[in-house]
Amino acid sequence: MKKILLTAGALLAWSGCALAGAGGQTVSMPVEDYKAILERLDTLQKRVDQLEKTEASPSDKASAAAMPGKLAKDVEAIYDTLDEVETKTLKDRINFGAEMRTRVDNFKLKDHQLFGGPGSAEHNDNHWSNRFRLNMDAEIRKNLFFTGRITAYKNFADADSNIYANDSNVAHLPGDSGLKLDRAYVDWTPEGMPIPLALTFGRQPVSEGPPSELKENRLRQSTYPSLLFDGEADGVVATIGLERYLGWKNSGIRFAWHKAYQDDSDSVSYMDTYGGAMDDSNIGAVFFETEIPGVRDSLLVLSALRADDLTASDYYLGGSGANSGNIGDMDLYGVHLQANNVVDSGVDLFLSLGLNETHPDGTINYTFTHPSYGVVTMPVGFMNNDGTTSHSGWAVHTGLRYTIPYQAWNNPKVGFEYNHGSDYWFSFTWGSNELFNKLATRGDAYDLYYIQPFNDNLFGRLGYTHVKYDYANSGLHIGDFGDSNAELDNFYFLLDCRF
Amino acid sequence: MQKRIVAMATVLSLVLPSVALAAGGEELFLQSCGSCHKKGGQAAVVNPADKAGSVWEKYFARGRHPVDISLSDADLQVVVAYLTAHAADSDQPAAAVIPK
Repeated sequence: MKKILLTAGALLAWSGCALAGAGGQTVSMPVEDYKAILERLDTLQKRVDQLEKTEASPSDKASAAAMPGKLAKDVEAIYDTLDEVETKTLKDRINFGAEMRTRVDNFKLKDHQLFGGPGSAEHNDNHWSNRFRLNMDAEIRKNLFFTGRITAYKNFADADSNIYANDSNVAHLPGDSGLKLDRAYVDWTPEGMPIPLALTFGRQPVSEGPPSELKENRLRQSTYPSLLFDGEADGVVATIGLERYLGWKNSGIRFAWHKAYQDDSDSVSYMDTYGGAMDDSNIGAVFFETEIPGVRDSLLVLSALRADDLTASDYYLGGSGANSGNIGDMDLYGVHLQANNVVDSGVDLFLSLGLNETHPDGTINYTFTHPSYGVVTMPVGFMNNDGTTSHSGWAVHTGLRYTIPYQAWNNPKVGFEYNHGSDYWFSFTWGSNELFNKLATRGDAYDLYYIQPFNDNLFGRLGYTHVKYDYANSGLHIGDFGDSNAELDNFYFLLDCRF
Repeated sequence: MQKRIVAMATVLSLVLPSVALAAGGEELFLQSCGSCHKKGGQAAVVNPADKAGSVWEKYFARGRHPVDISLSDADLQVVVAYLTAHAADSDQPAAAVIPK
């Protein structure tokens, strides 16, 4: 560069002379100007020298040369990190969530057959329980999903198992501290089917159905309305989507099959009890559901259910459990209507109707000690004592919830529910989330609650339930025990944390 | 007897190629990758279960291997198929084909 400038300067000087010379002219300038030009040339020379030195700086040279490589290394490092994260994510096939509920109840029960019948009274001013749930889900493939939940539900300071726990309620009754399988099922949407079909197999999501989600302050948890079926059940369900045919949003029809009882030997897992003590009890059901046309965020469910060869044991009447058998079949029908946030008012409404009809077939013996007659054995059948009399029952469940638009308090909710069941009302609500299985009430139940969200993960619920029983043995299908004047009052508070 | 031999030959002809492919994948992996990726070797030990299947596929699709791999495209496909079949998220993850 230096050479170039010197050469250029010399050439300029020479060419100036030459041109001048060529023209026979001589350039004359003041000495000061000439010195100024020389100084300017000197300055330029120094600048060139400086630039050459700067260019030659080893650190900058290295830095400039290293830039592409460093970038490549950074990119490689990012890729390595992505590989690790992606590999870990793909290995973590199951997502976990949890729920923790602590509840205290203050209840008063009078004239109830569980505590001695007319004239009896039972009161507990603070009864505490804990419920822990571990929720799981996984997207196994694009069209294959797994959902599961295991539960430990226990009273404070109590590790005894619940004597009324069975396969349909073991995760919903407070018992020992062991984990129980609440639900575990796979949803499979086969590809290439001519109709939109989904198969659900496993331990089904058939507990805490509509409208339970309003009171539980969560999303819908079950396919079936809770008035008809609320519990745990193993089975297979086929769902056919009808939206493309009917044009009604979320419309579909479900065909469900469950086992309510399966005769098996506890010593040989794949065989019946020797001699075949009882027939299996099967439940088959059809459910049609849709969003009500023209009503946003609504639900209509029409249900028809048949339960064959229902079983009975005198254990549930306080007997020894030595007597058990099949006592008949039952049909169950239902209509459920629900609309959330009606015309943006913050009000959620629901109405659920149920109808049941028994087809009795036989009795079992119930042996007990009578205060006057000593040991007595009497036959009991399907809501009868003769094994043949058929009964029909009905129930209604209605209510509302209002979300108070008060942001400073995280929009608390207040709700009221009422249900009435006739003398012979019976449905499959053994696994109800309600502590007193209120939807099985043969009589009237009133339920008032207030939900206070503290944040997105924690809320409290304060409530009062009053039940007036008109007929005995609500929730039980064994025997015909007549009228009841029992009453229940329950105040409670619970804290629910979900994450 | 002849029928049995024919039947056996048919079964073997159906079964053997897949067995050969599986065995060939591991063999090729050990030969081509294991020559450098070994304990005390020029590169760190590598096994199929080090990455998820889709991650392996993307790794080679992006040409991220730092040195040129002297494998034909067909052989590379066999190695990648082997890696994905025994990747971390596969049913049969292989974590110690090359001892660490």
